[in-house]
Amino acid sequence: MALRLLTRNLRNRISPNLCSASLLHSHATSFGFKEVREEEKSQMVGKVFSNVASNYDLMNDFMSAGLHRLWKDRLVSKLSPFPGMKHLDVAGGTGDVAFRILESINSIRRRALQDPINDDLQEETRIYVCDINQNMLNVGKNRALERGLGEDKSLVWVQGDAEALSFEDNSMDGYTIAFGIRNVTHIEKVLTEAYRVLKRGGRFLCLELSHVEIPVFKELYDLYSFSVIPRLGEVVAGDRESYQYLVESIRRFPPQEKFASMIADAGFQKVEYENLVGGVVAIHSGLKI
Amino acid sequence: MYRTVVNRILLSGGSRRLPKYPDIRTVTSSSWFSTTTQPQTVLNPSGSSTSSSSSTSFQTSSAAGDVPRHERNNPRAEFEGEQARVLQASLRHVIRLGWSEEAMIAGAKEVGISPSIVGSFPRKEAALVEFFMDDCLQRLIDRIDSGEELQNLTPSQRIYKLVRIRLEMQAPYVSKWPQALSIQAHPLNVSTSFKQRAMLIDEIWHAAGDETYDLDWYVKRTVLGGIYSTTEIYMLTDSSPEFRDTWLFLDNRVKDAFDLKKTIQEAKYLAEAVGAGMGSSLQGFVGRVLQR
Repeated sequence: MALRLLTRNLRNRISPNLCSASLLHSHATSFGFKEVREEEKSQMVGKVFSNVASNYDLMNDFMSAGLHRLWKDRLVSKLSPFPGMKHLDVAGGTGDVAFRILESINSIRRRALQDPINDDLQEETRIYVCDINQNMLNVGKNRALERGLGEDKSLVWVQGDAEALSFEDNSMDGYTIAFGIRNVTHIEKVLTEAYRVLKRGGRFLCLELSHVEIPVFKELYDLYSFSVIPRLGEVVAGDRESYQYLVESIRRFPPQEKFASMIADAGFQKVEYENLVGGVVAIHSGLKI
Repeated sequence: MYRTVVNRILLSGGSRRLPKYPDIRTVTSSSWFSTTTQPQTVLNPSGSSTSSSSSTSFQTSSAAGDVPRHERNNPRAEFEGEQARVLQASLRHVIRLGWSEEAMIAGAKEVGISPSIVGSFPRKEAALVEFFMDDCLQRLIDRIDSGEELQNLTPSQRIYKLVRIRLEMQAPYVSKWPQALSIQAHPLNVSTSFKQRAMLIDEIWHAAGDETYDLDWYVKRTVLGGIYSTTEIYMLTDSSPEFRDTWLFLDNRVKDAFDLKKTIQEAKYLAEAVGAGMGSSLQGFVGRVLQR
């Protein structure tokens, strides 16, 4: 931790007494490595995502060499969706995770076609895609149309704030947030809201870019993030700033252990995490009892 | 001795009667994007100070200034209690849906918990099969402890009786039992299922009144393990009313084994006798040589 802070300081000359944990509770919050006021962060994040919305998935493919698809598959397989599920995918504007969940449920239905009970249940399946950014939601809706899912009643697109969800208590079987929680102003509030909307037995799953601790790989990864990704953003999406923010915000996000303890603090049980690609991303999971 | 150890584990386990996961934290980590995870069990950093009633299932190497979290009473047991409740209810659906996720989903719905919880069970279907194995063992132990039915029986009759009691427990599921066996034989699950079988065999031998700890220990357990497994397999294809053929088969195998034991015993005596004979003649020979 101290070592990581030190390198971070050298790189950016931020004041040494600030660590990610204290930042989360302070009124000044982080926007990448910059310190900004809390009110500003959501606006700035909003701007970033409005900027990148159109190229979001293209850039994801470029930056992760297509791996983000596998990560999302892994997330959904950990969730193990079932017919009749009420699921909330937060910060999932482009529908990537929601489509996968729907596919997985449909394949279950095909397997159990002879079971009439499941067919009724299928009608009840609802996947709510919630995103604070209308631009991202529009991208998702268009993609749903392209996939022929435009008429599917199972997909519900909702604009909303992860820190103040518009859903009732104990109404969801599952909650996923993929590459989103890093961008919120108050992680604790998001976790509390997730806990609130989930039913007993409901699961919280979070896919997020995280911290690499493997020595040599870490150096390579840092080099890649700080030299390649912003340039890639400039060339492919024509937006360097947004991708500079992306790599900085990853470094700002609490490390796996810390984040896991935050999830436990929100009331979740059986909190576990799994590192993928040596910690480039981590899937955290918790269970509400 | 083993019996008391088992009992102690069982009694201290609270609602989950055979705790396979003591106060350790499982951190699953996999390198790269492979889907094969290698679960590593990491000893709780604060393990020495916390008892099994540690406050959360997730223990962090809490950084300084970390506020104490949940003061709830033993959420791990709470989770395992819920898991046991769901799995118990799921067993009723096994006959229709098999040892499957569907059965567990149906079970969760029955007890009024979101079926999402099934996703958090380690190794999915294996959790259900292992729960059933534990449950049966527990019921068998209860019967051994309470019943007088073993009192006036010879060891071979006791073995027969106990194996039969245990196999009768899985008789309702016999149509789905091949599936359970294949789940148990899966490389990821095989170590647990082997352990569970070993415990079962051990329990039966103890109930049969075996208290020896010599080399025979291994022989006995191997033989009984063989009898149990072959009878279990025989049962799968047995269509006779109330598995009459199976019980006949079992009876014959137990008798064979005890005959074998007798044969081994006799061979041993013979060897001893031969040894003694040789020894005395050698002694006599040496004595005669020395006398000269």
